[in-house]
Amino acid sequence: MTIHEPGRRLMHSVQLKYVQKKVAGGGQRQVAAGLSLTSMIDFLVTIVVFLLITFSASGEIPAAKNVRLPTAENTMDMIDAPIVSIAGQAILVDGAPAGNTRAVEESKRMQRIDELFNILKGKREVWRQLHPGKDFPGVVVLQIDQDVTAVVVKSVFQTSAFAGFPNVSFMVNGASKTPGGTAQ
Amino acid sequence: MGGVSVEGGGGSKRAVDAEINMIPMIDLLMVTISFLLITAVWSHMSRINADAQVPGPPREVEPTQVEPEKQLHVEMRAPDKFVLIWKQGGTVVSTVDVPRKDNLIVKDGVKNIRFPDLAAKIEAEWKTAGSHRDATDKKFDQAVLHTDNETPYVYIIGVMDAIYQPHRPYTAGGKTEQVPSFNVTFAVN
Repeated sequence: MTIHEPGRRLMHSVQLKYVQKKVAGGGQRQVAAGLSLTSMIDFLVTIVVFLLITFSASGEIPAAKNVRLPTAENTMDMIDAPIVSIAGQAILVDGAPAGNTRAVEESKRMQRIDELFNILKGKREVWRQLHPGKDFPGVVVLQIDQDVTAVVVKSVFQTSAFAGFPNVSFMVNGASKTPGGTAQ
Repeated sequence: MGGVSVEGGGGSKRAVDAEINMIPMIDLLMVTISFLLITAVWSHMSRINADAQVPGPPREVEPTQVEPEKQLHVEMRAPDKFVLIWKQGGTVVSTVDVPRKDNLIVKDGVKNIRFPDLAAKIEAEWKTAGSHRDATDKKFDQAVLHTDNETPYVYIIGVMDAIYQPHRPYTAGGKTEQVPSFNVTFAVN
C-alpha cells in the first residue's frame, strides 16, 4: 500500500472532495446554471433598442367600441384627420355624437345628414382659423362597421364631401398581401 | 459591480469612470422593455382612399372644352357577376363581365372578403385601356363604383381593394414609388 499525502477533509472519514462532488450535482448535470452578466445586459440592451426603433405612434388610432372593421390588402398608412365613426345607428365625430343614421335607413335613400354636416363644417372653419393662408387638406377618416349598408356609407361620404372634406379615407385592418388573394 | 477603472495614476485626481450598480440598471432595462412591449401597437390600422369628385369654385374664365377622359365603371349590383364598363363621357367604350364568387370568410366575428378574379381583370383592363401609365403623369385613371343601397360595407371594401390592386410608378420630387393606378369614387345613383 502506497502512502498518500493527506488531503483536505471535512471529517475524519469524509474527504472534502466527496462533498464538493455532491454539491456540484454528484456527477449529474447541475441544477443551477451560471449566467453571464455581460451577455444578459447585451441582450436586454438589444431588445430595448429594437423596441425603441420599431415603436411607432402611427396606426395607433383606437377603433370605436362595437365597430368591426373589414380587412383590406391594398392600403395606405393612417393619417391625422377627423374620424367619423358609425356603429349601429350612432354617428360620432372624434368621439362626440354627431347625429344618427335612422332617417337614412328608414327612407333607404341617400341624403345629407345635417348634424354631421354642421359639425364637419365647424371643424373645417376651426382648421382655417388655426392655419391661416394654408390649403385645407380636406381629409376625413370613416370608421364604419362591416355590416353597415351602402346607403349609409354613401350618405356619410357625400355629407363629408359637401362639408368640405372631399378626400375620404375608409379605415380598415391592414392585411399582408398573399398571392392567392386571401388576406391573413 | 461593473465598471472599469481607468485612473490615470494622477494621485489625488478624481477617477474618470464611476461604477454602475448592476441591479438598478437591469431593473431599468426590464421596466423599459415591459413599457415598450405593453405600449406596442400590434394591430395596425390602415386606410383605403376615395375621392368625392367635388367640383371646385367657379372660375372667372372658363377653360376651353376638353374631351372627357375614359373612366372605369365597376358595377356590383348583380349577385352573380361584376360588370366593368369603360365610358368616355356618356359613350360606352367597352364592357366586360366578371363572374362573381362571394367567398366570405368569418373569423372571430370579423368578416373578410376578397375578389381575386375581379382584381386580376381590373389589372388587365388597366394595362390595355388605362390612360395614365407613365411615371411622370400626375393624373390617375378614375374608377366609379356602382352599388345598390343594401350592400354591406364589407363587400364595398372588398371591391375597392380589388380596384386598388393595379399599381403604377409615380415620380414626385425626384422620387419614384409604386402607387395605386386608380382613384375611386362612388356613383351617386
